[in-house]
Amino acid sequence: MDAVEKANAERQRRWVKDQKVGEGTYAVVYRGRELATGRKIAIKKIKVGQFKDGLDMSAVREVKYLRELQHPNIIELLDVFSSKTNLNLVLEFLDTDLEMIIKDRSLVFLPADIKSWMAMTFRGLEFCHRNFILHRDLKPNNLLIASDGQLKIADFGLARDAADPGYKMTCQVITRWYRPPELLFGCRYYSTAVDIWSVGCIFAELMLRIPYLPGESDMDQLKTIFRALGTPTDEEWPGHTKLPDYVSVGQFPRTPLRDLFTAASGDTLNLLSKCIIFEPRKRISARDALYHPYFFALPYPTHPSKLPKTAAQTAAASRPPDEVDGNVDPGGGAPAGVGKAAPPKKLKRKLSGHDLSRNIARKLDFTAS
Amino acid sequence: MSTNRTNAASWLRGTTIRKGTTTPATRSHTPQTQTSSSIVFSGGVKDGSGRTSEYFSMDDQCPVCKSDRYLNPKLRLLVSSCYHKMCESCIDRLYTLGPAPCPVCGKTLKKMTFIPQTFEDLVVEKEVAIRRKLAKEFNKRREDFPDLRSYDDYLQEVEDITFNLINEIDIPETQARIAAYRKENAAFIELNQQREEAYVQALKEQEEAERRERQLRAEEIRRAEEEERDAREGERRALIDNLENSDADAARLVAQARAEALKRAAARTAAAHQAVFAQQQETMRLRAAQSAVVVPDQPHVPLLDGYYAYEDLCGLRSSYFDPASDAVRRDKEGIMRAGGYRVEEAWERALRYAVAGLDITPPLGEVSMPLPITSRVDADVAMASV
Repeated sequence: MDAVEKANAERQRRWVKDQKVGEGTYAVVYRGRELATGRKIAIKKIKVGQFKDGLDMSAVREVKYLRELQHPNIIELLDVFSSKTNLNLVLEFLDTDLEMIIKDRSLVFLPADIKSWMAMTFRGLEFCHRNFILHRDLKPNNLLIASDGQLKIADFGLARDAADPGYKMTCQVITRWYRPPELLFGCRYYSTAVDIWSVGCIFAELMLRIPYLPGESDMDQLKTIFRALGTPTDEEWPGHTKLPDYVSVGQFPRTPLRDLFTAASGDTLNLLSKCIIFEPRKRISARDALYHPYFFALPYPTHPSKLPKTAAQTAAASRPPDEVDGNVDPGGGAPAGVGKAAPPKKLKRKLSGHDLSRNIARKLDFTAS
Repeated sequence: MSTNRTNAASWLRGTTIRKGTTTPATRSHTPQTQTSSSIVFSGGVKDGSGRTSEYFSMDDQCPVCKSDRYLNPKLRLLVSSCYHKMCESCIDRLYTLGPAPCPVCGKTLKKMTFIPQTFEDLVVEKEVAIRRKLAKEFNKRREDFPDLRSYDDYLQEVEDITFNLINEIDIPETQARIAAYRKENAAFIELNQQREEAYVQALKEQEEAERRERQLRAEEIRRAEEEERDAREGERRALIDNLENSDADAARLVAQARAEALKRAAARTAAAHQAVFAQQQETMRLRAAQSAVVVPDQPHVPLLDGYYAYEDLCGLRSSYFDPASDAVRRDKEGIMRAGGYRVEEAWERALRYAVAGLDITPPLGEVSMPLPITSRVDADVAMASV
């Protein structure tokens, strides 16, 4: 056994795998604990050797960026080790995600709660952007909530660092409902502003409790956006008609945000409107957003420990580990975001393709055993 | 539904059916019931406020003497303890001289056991009465049981007893079960009754407090309105006095007065807003007080680290000699511009990567790793992907 193998075995011994909590196409997620301290962790085992290209792109990205980013509002990568042909990521264990909280109709959000979540999201995002990393898949599902209420940005499977001048980036990123118009128009040169649009959509979703811009297809997404915000003119967004996939989807008038968000304060709508400006250069940056008057106005943002919690989250605190059986569906209080592993062709994934990817996963599992 | 059919039929016949509407005439409360008897019949199923809503229909007919509302407009049907109906005059006639058998089923009845009818269906009447009676004693709650299973067993038993009583199965045995339960759980029953009373009391107090609050608020508003009216009146009088006594330009005086009034109104609205805000704060505090651990909300701090607190030792120039980005910069109107891509960001990144950490003195002696991950990870990845 050479030195590398020895070190790897030593690492592996630090962690204990308990039970499986979720499975995706390219990874299986286990709940586990640190042997020495008993601290709860999640182990994401990436299946290698099932794809002929070697390691999946998202796994590489996840390791690459999570290693560099250490921040209270970004999920922590504790360790990486390999077992046989698999790569294992040891991540912080998180109880729930923002999507489950939004969907839990029994919870009532105060304006201060939303402010708190937004502040934490912007802080995490500012840290990414400060280090020139674009997340490119922000959605409530990827904002995990720790047991102490802290919000953590997770799933860096689509992240990349800001491109050098003249290098193209793919435009097939970000879940459709949270995708900014420049990506829908097929723009290959974009910036950190794409993440800000997603955060704006999440902000609106927190207030509405339903997705703000739920398009059914890429084309419909553009229509949905323009129906909500009006079709941009050339003054509002210079040059957008020259983008590769530009199509005219019709003229829609601009409706004031006030019509939809009747109860929101002026500051709230001001920040929201700055997050969803069509012209990416005019969109507010994460850092400027943190200094926006919205966050300083009363009421103060809720302390994380007092934020609304789902019933599963409260129960999880007292639940002994052996009560969770093997195949918990991701909606059942398992660490959904961690458990939700990306299918290999994630870039081309459609929203309706969930079942499909699950079927693939089962099939692959079968051949492997 | 048979009720519907009878209703429809009687509608066709032209009689008035008042049952089913919510006007007081359909369900008269006990005190207003027209009665021909000297005895006040009470009991029956009471509603939340302790009143008995009596069932009443234009089609009522006494099953014993066949008298109906046409013959006797004051007809009032009462229910016996064996759940058979008869009118007050029949009860007077049959039971004034003491206990006598029921004309329908033969069970011995006393005059005092007759009760007013609440529900149209007597089966329902009976079930509700039995359930009410049982619930007084079978009043255990989930908290009184160690686990859900035993609570479910208890509920099952209560349901069994209820079913037996309603359908008159094994009455003596069931009564024995009830008695045994009563003996066993006397303390529990007592305790839960007290709890129930306390809860009802608390509800009442809360209601009372809310009512007082509302009254106070209404008074407050009225007072504010009165003040405002007085103020306006005063202003107008002052203006008229001013116009009378002063020899300044009338139009200017009016304009001045109007401006002042506007200012005062603004101040009043601000005060009102302040009050609303204070009330909101109060609600928030209440909610905070409800949670077990009180953590005060803190004012927003934009960034939790001092990353931007240091002054950069080098600055970004407005332009660089950078052939690689020429294409991007020349593209003023086109695709690169519209996507929001900035060359300046790329320059800044290059600069930061070049100078980051230059002023940090290298650690001496043993190297401590800030992260548990070392560069060996790369080796793992590389190995795994081979």
